[in-house]
Amino acid sequence: MFHGPGGPRHLLAQETSKAGNVGATLARLGSYFKPYWFMLVLVTGLMIVNTWTQVITPDLTGQVVDCFLAPAPEPQFQELSKATLEMRATNCWYTPIHPNRTMDETLAGLGGLVATLVGIYLLGAILGGLMFYVMTWTGQRVLKRLRVDVFRHLHRLSVGFYAENETGNVMSRITNDTDTLQQAINFALIQVVSGALLLVWITWNMLTKSVAYALVSMAVVPLMILATTWFSDQARRAFRRTRKEIGNVNANLQESIAGVREVQAFNRENANIAEFERSSAAYRDANIRAVAFTSALAPTLEALGYLAIALVVVVGGIALLRGENLFGTTMSLGLIVTFLGYVQRFNQPIQQISVLWTNIQSAIAGAERIFDLLDTQPDVTDKSNARALPPIVGAVEFDRVDAEYKKGERVLCGVSLRAEPGQTVAIVGPTGAGKTTIINLIPRFYDVVGGAVKIDGVDVREVTRASLRAQIGIVLQDTFLFSDTVMNNIRYGRLDATDAEVIAAAKLVRADSFIERLSKQYETVLGERGTGLSQGQRQLISIARAALANPRILILDEATSSVDTRTERLIQQALEELLRGRTSFVIAHRLSTIRNADQVIVIQDGEVVERGKHDELLARGGVYHALYTSQFRREEQPATTPQGVI
Amino acid sequence: MTMKTTRARGDRVSFAGLQRAIRYLFRYRRVAVIAYASLFISTLAQLMVPQLVQATIDAITRGGALAVPATTAPPPFTRADLETWLIASAVGIVGFAAMRGLFAFTQSYNAERASQGVAFDLRNELFAKIQRLSFSYHDQNQTGQLMIRATDDVEKTRLFIGQGLMMVLQAFLLLFGTLIVLWLTNVPLTLVILPTLPIALVLFMAFGAVAQPLFTRVQQKLSTLNTILQENLAGIKVVQAFVREPNEQARFNRAADDLMRQQLVIARVFSFLFPFIFLIMNLGQAAVLYFGGRQILGGALTIGEWQKFSLYLLYVFFPLGMLGMIISQMSQAAASASRIFEILDAKNDVTDKPNARALAPIQGRVKFENVTFRYFGSSEPVLSRVSFEANPGQTIALLGATGSGKTTIINLIPRFYDASEGRVTIDDNDVRDVKLDSLRSQIGIVLQDTTLFSGTIRDNIAFGRPDATMDAVIAAARAAEAHDFIGDFPDGYDTLVGERGATLSGGQKQRVAIARALLLDPRILILDDSTSSVDLATEYRIQHALDQLMRGRTSFVIAQRISTVLNADQILVLDKGEIVARGKHEELMEESEMYAEIYHSQLIGDAGTTDDRRPATDDIPPSSVLRPRSSVEAR
Repeated sequence: MFHGPGGPRHLLAQETSKAGNVGATLARLGSYFKPYWFMLVLVTGLMIVNTWTQVITPDLTGQVVDCFLAPAPEPQFQELSKATLEMRATNCWYTPIHPNRTMDETLAGLGGLVATLVGIYLLGAILGGLMFYVMTWTGQRVLKRLRVDVFRHLHRLSVGFYAENETGNVMSRITNDTDTLQQAINFALIQVVSGALLLVWITWNMLTKSVAYALVSMAVVPLMILATTWFSDQARRAFRRTRKEIGNVNANLQESIAGVREVQAFNRENANIAEFERSSAAYRDANIRAVAFTSALAPTLEALGYLAIALVVVVGGIALLRGENLFGTTMSLGLIVTFLGYVQRFNQPIQQISVLWTNIQSAIAGAERIFDLLDTQPDVTDKSNARALPPIVGAVEFDRVDAEYKKGERVLCGVSLRAEPGQTVAIVGPTGAGKTTIINLIPRFYDVVGGAVKIDGVDVREVTRASLRAQIGIVLQDTFLFSDTVMNNIRYGRLDATDAEVIAAAKLVRADSFIERLSKQYETVLGERGTGLSQGQRQLISIARAALANPRILILDEATSSVDTRTERLIQQALEELLRGRTSFVIAHRLSTIRNADQVIVIQDGEVVERGKHDELLARGGVYHALYTSQFRREEQPATTPQGVI
Repeated sequence: MTMKTTRARGDRVSFAGLQRAIRYLFRYRRVAVIAYASLFISTLAQLMVPQLVQATIDAITRGGALAVPATTAPPPFTRADLETWLIASAVGIVGFAAMRGLFAFTQSYNAERASQGVAFDLRNELFAKIQRLSFSYHDQNQTGQLMIRATDDVEKTRLFIGQGLMMVLQAFLLLFGTLIVLWLTNVPLTLVILPTLPIALVLFMAFGAVAQPLFTRVQQKLSTLNTILQENLAGIKVVQAFVREPNEQARFNRAADDLMRQQLVIARVFSFLFPFIFLIMNLGQAAVLYFGGRQILGGALTIGEWQKFSLYLLYVFFPLGMLGMIISQMSQAAASASRIFEILDAKNDVTDKPNARALAPIQGRVKFENVTFRYFGSSEPVLSRVSFEANPGQTIALLGATGSGKTTIINLIPRFYDASEGRVTIDDNDVRDVKLDSLRSQIGIVLQDTTLFSGTIRDNIAFGRPDATMDAVIAAARAAEAHDFIGDFPDGYDTLVGERGATLSGGQKQRVAIARALLLDPRILILDDSTSSVDLATEYRIQHALDQLMRGRTSFVIAQRISTVLNADQILVLDKGEIVARGKHEELMEESEMYAEIYHSQLIGDAGTTDDRRPATDDIPPSSVLRPRSSVEAR
């Protein structure tokens, strides 16, 4: 219950958001808790008992005073305290007192009462700990299920989803939203609920003891609530500003450090420093402003708490001194002590509820976004009666295929083509012509909107995606490697491959020579996204991966980025090895690939404008000829270029 | 085991950095003094409150309930006396509480101001230092790392200076203040609660020590999980293409399980430690209740004093709790501070000499005299005994594999590094003898990996000469073949370039970079003539722009294109840091086998025939002269 350094500041500085449809979201979140309903019941039970231990202690402390410590008043006040004495007698329900008690009996009674208190403290500690643990146990299981659900759903979503949503955004949405949710489930929820319970209970207790005295004691509560809400609100608003400013500081840093070479080359150091100091100062000032509010919150609440104490003591004390009823309640010292205990327990829950409430709201909003994601329908799914594609020979046919990414924007229009088993089809054309779309349709990353893509005469939509994709190998331009060993990255092509098979595949595509030179050879762990390897080396690994998969159909997006000559030669040889005997679709950038192709398909504006073999097309003098002369001809000039001539 | 690792880490933390950071507070002396004075006053006010609570209760008990202790024989009080006494004390409580609140506010507000000031200074000093540190420093340090120094580490240090330091002081003030008051009130009762203090302190410390590494481990598990998520998002096509969803899901499931288990470990520790700490505190209260009660019965204590005791007891535990947290905060802050000062103390190997003079407008004669260069801490030279001379207006083409030293040569001219041996002169001035800004302002640089800055296109072109007129900017853009595309933007030259030039295509960025260099109208030009994947028309325009740029200037070109090599006045062929051949194209074709080899295999042939201005594109990959260390060695 101690706040960390900085108190509620940390919580107030967090980003908050509001959910739209709270009811539905909560219901759905509730369904995740359903398997653990018993645990929730348990937590509730524990919470009730735990709160009881906190509510009962002031009462017992009051009894310690009334029943044991407060004997006869001084003579001049004797006549006044008759009622008080009676009141004390009724108050002492735990250890009834009788007039002729000996000192030993009193001490024993006192000891017994304190021992009971100790027992209650102990119970509170155990139950409190248990409650926290059970809640975390449940919450973590719910979170795990939610995480796994989201992850699975991400796999189901088609490539189209990822084309529209940047991975970075999806990623940060998922991590941030589960994070707030986790915080709420682990911490905020239980604090807010048990805080509220404590407040209600204490209020109830006070009211049953004395309505008037209770009202006096709680006079400051509205002020506390007001102060907390106002300061938290202001602080949140001010912290929003600091987030903006730290964004500027970071952007400034990022740019100036990443571009430090330019900065120095153009003598811009001083100008940049001056600019940074401006954003740095803005950040500082925004922080100071925000902290003005958080620094005011705790002292204000504390002062109000003391005000409540003073009120309790003065009102109760005067009534007691005068021996008067406080609107029908007979005052006793024990009652004052009890109320003092209650009042001291008010402060914390009020502060917590107001600070954590927004946290819970944000969590609900986060859950809503997660559910939205889960509700995103994948646009490519297996038909309900889809069957597994039997082992294929590798004939691929496009039958008047239309494709679009956005409704009404055709990217492919009436494309027909046919690749016989074992043939290599080179696809050429300017950027944006639709080359990538063609290859994306074969493994059914997207669905056609008209016509059909058939493999061995079977429409790809009729079979399960898993059985289809398992027979297609893909080497993408932007090679993607996992942060794992080289061995496992190649094995990604076929998980049951033995080490020997992996190495054989690497040898086949001539990747073994550079792998052998890595620090731990095949066991070298690659950094995230394959850092530590050159672009060309990464390509070789992905080629080895495809070779290991040994697919009947191969899809290849040749990389345009430059790699060094030696690696380039290796890659060309590797690709040739890989293409041999498979039906291959290649987005070609290498002249050698195009020349070797059985068919060259020239795409322009989503349509096939020319097709045929390299020589025929060249002779035709059309689009391909123009492309060739501008792009490829110079490759022939230095005649020694490896692979340049067949 | 956990404890051991923490301690081992703690031992290595030096607090010297933290001390130095704290010294920055002296710059905000006034504010800091206010903060500390406020802390003192508010703590004293806080210590007063229980005294007054005692007074009120004593007032009540005297009249209503309790025999007054024999020790303080009462004068005969009237009820009115007691009521006045009661009200006065209550007003006192409110007064001191208000005072406490006010000063607690001024304390934390001013502490924040002072510490934000320190953070501001540290941040700015870091930034200035980083901007000025030479290339060799930046070669070894990643942007992300340096950013963390200027943000996270500064913030951690600030937190300790702004809060931790105050809290330590406050904790001790409260602790000792309370103990003194308690001791003066009632020695035996003080002795009863005293033993709970060390127990609580040990628990809090243990809590700090145990919690920190546990949290670190949760962070690790979480980042493992996030890595899988990230990889699957970025590599979704690969995952789907290879039908690896089930395996990836199993992997994710395992990582999620791991994370969950680790979270539960923390939950176990917390659900034991936290209630236990409160239990100790409550046991202290119970002890006061019982032993205090006995004393009350014996007449040695008043109920007021007894209430005071239990209030003070809260005051003692609070600082103990704070101390526990501050300890972990402090070691983090110390580690952060030493990382900060590591940068601030880094020796900048390229700085102006004390007696450096401004370099007068130059002709552009560049001379390398026996230049050897090795990176700091490396014995292997990157350049060894390189000598050559470039006359004003000449074009020098540099050829060689990656790592052969081309880049090093061009980096030595604007003095991004200093030669280890030998010297580089411009118009017979050793570059180390002149002021850096006067040197660099006369050299134009176009790097292959163009970095643009957020701001308008105009700002970017005028990057090296912010005071340039609009006409000059447009003229430079025209010469760089950039004017047309800039005109096509709705905002023209005021178009905002997104972070790192996001709104521009690669080719456009390159032309803006060329315009940027042109605007300086430098006598010496350094460029990388490679262009990365741009379309044909752009490629042609860039070539054209570069030709414009080189005309009449001493130019050093890391050559990618045959045309550049053919037109060069001198070609330097580098291998392993040495010039292995030099001369013009025709000479080298006959004399140097290596040159012939590079010529054939690596240069992008824009025909090499009569029409040597045919546009070329990089769509054809086997091209770059930039990377192929092995291409030369291989044969």
